[in-house]
Amino acid sequence: MNLSVRKIVISGILGAISILLGITRLGFIPVPTPAGHATIMHIPVILGGVLEGPVVGLITGVIFGLFSFLQPGAPFFADPLVSIFPRLFIGIVAYLVYYSTKKINTILACVLAGAFGSATNTVLVLGMATWRGYLPSEVSVSIGLLHGLPELVIAAILTVILVKGIQRIRTTEE
Amino acid sequence: MELTKNITLGVYLPGETYIHNLDPRTKIIAAAILITLLLFIKSYLAYAIFLFLIIAILVIATIPPGYAFSGLKPMLPILVLMWLFQLFLYSTPDAEVIVSWWIFSATDAGLHMGNLISMRVLFLFTVTTILTLTTSIVSLTDGLESLLNPLKKIGLPSQELVMTMIIALRFVLILAEELDKIIKAQMARGVAFDRGNFIQKTKSLFPVFLPLFINAFKRAEELIVAMEARSYTGGKGRTKMKTLHMGRVDLFAGLFILLFSALIIYVILIVPPVI
Repeated sequence: MNLSVRKIVISGILGAISILLGITRLGFIPVPTPAGHATIMHIPVILGGVLEGPVVGLITGVIFGLFSFLQPGAPFFADPLVSIFPRLFIGIVAYLVYYSTKKINTILACVLAGAFGSATNTVLVLGMATWRGYLPSEVSVSIGLLHGLPELVIAAILTVILVKGIQRIRTTEE
Repeated sequence: MELTKNITLGVYLPGETYIHNLDPRTKIIAAAILITLLLFIKSYLAYAIFLFLIIAILVIATIPPGYAFSGLKPMLPILVLMWLFQLFLYSTPDAEVIVSWWIFSATDAGLHMGNLISMRVLFLFTVTTILTLTTSIVSLTDGLESLLNPLKKIGLPSQELVMTMIIALRFVLILAEELDKIIKAQMARGVAFDRGNFIQKTKSLFPVFLPLFINAFKRAEELIVAMEARSYTGGKGRTKMKTLHMGRVDLFAGLFILLFSALIIYVILIVPPVI
């Protein structure tokens, strides 16, 4: 496998945005639920998958996962199987969804990629947390609905806006 | 709204102890071994033995306990909540009921399950915290690169992967400054970040995110051109100014961790799990 300079730089910078959203707490959107906030830290990973392909999505996911493992926001993220493993798939799923639907309509493809990428994060993280015994399944399902759905909607909207915005500056520069 | 004023990346506590002076590779491998062991521990005895090791490391590395656990404070409410969930919701068919109140009933199985997962999380957290407290980010990435090097043979671009991490860490601070400017500029235009309900708050993030990502991508394009102009070719034939050396201390530490793992594996196999 060969990594081009473009892939290295873009994964690095998207990873940086993900970390930045985490440490400034800008990546946590206050949602009126007991647990407090929905996260949008996985949006850079989705963008990596959609704009640059599965490899960038994967590497950005690794950076996001490593960060949430080393500076855990919730106790169960101290377990690498919950914090790192699920994040490997966000970018890959977003890429697959985007490339299989973009022939129909690129805006729809972005919406779906954002939604599926976000759902991958929610389902796998909570699934692993349940499987490893940190959360009972009833609690996981309710967190999934209360947090997963707002995250999914925000991710879908942000993915469209950001992908279109970035594609526009790219075409004008070329 | 000073979001980016006090950014701390990693919590490295400089020192000259045995633990600090270990080769980063030794520490990364040791942490990985300890984390793997923790994922399998299911008895109180094994945790008690583990506690001795953690205390010994904290003493040798002269880390003040308050400092080591300060990162835990914001997580404490959720940890208690997790413990309560297990206490009241986890149960096995032959579990004995300890306390019963209204529709809730706590079983001994739930109590043990709650204790086990809370301890697992606490120990995992302490191991990673000790690693980041005693190892600077620079030596962590150096160690990681060196450990990934053998994987080059099967086609893993280790130098390039570490390069992405270095770019990420470097750009967190650059983008933080940028974020500060964007937020101030948008506040001057009248965006109220700290007012309104959930939907209004979410909406106020869009005028921050779009410029942040677009500027980040512009910087990325510049960096790509700069790196290509200097003929960056990744890890091929690259040498290092500072090379890592394993010493006698690393040998001792390695042997100690191996003995400790053997002990823990023995305990895992001998002592029946509490749940």
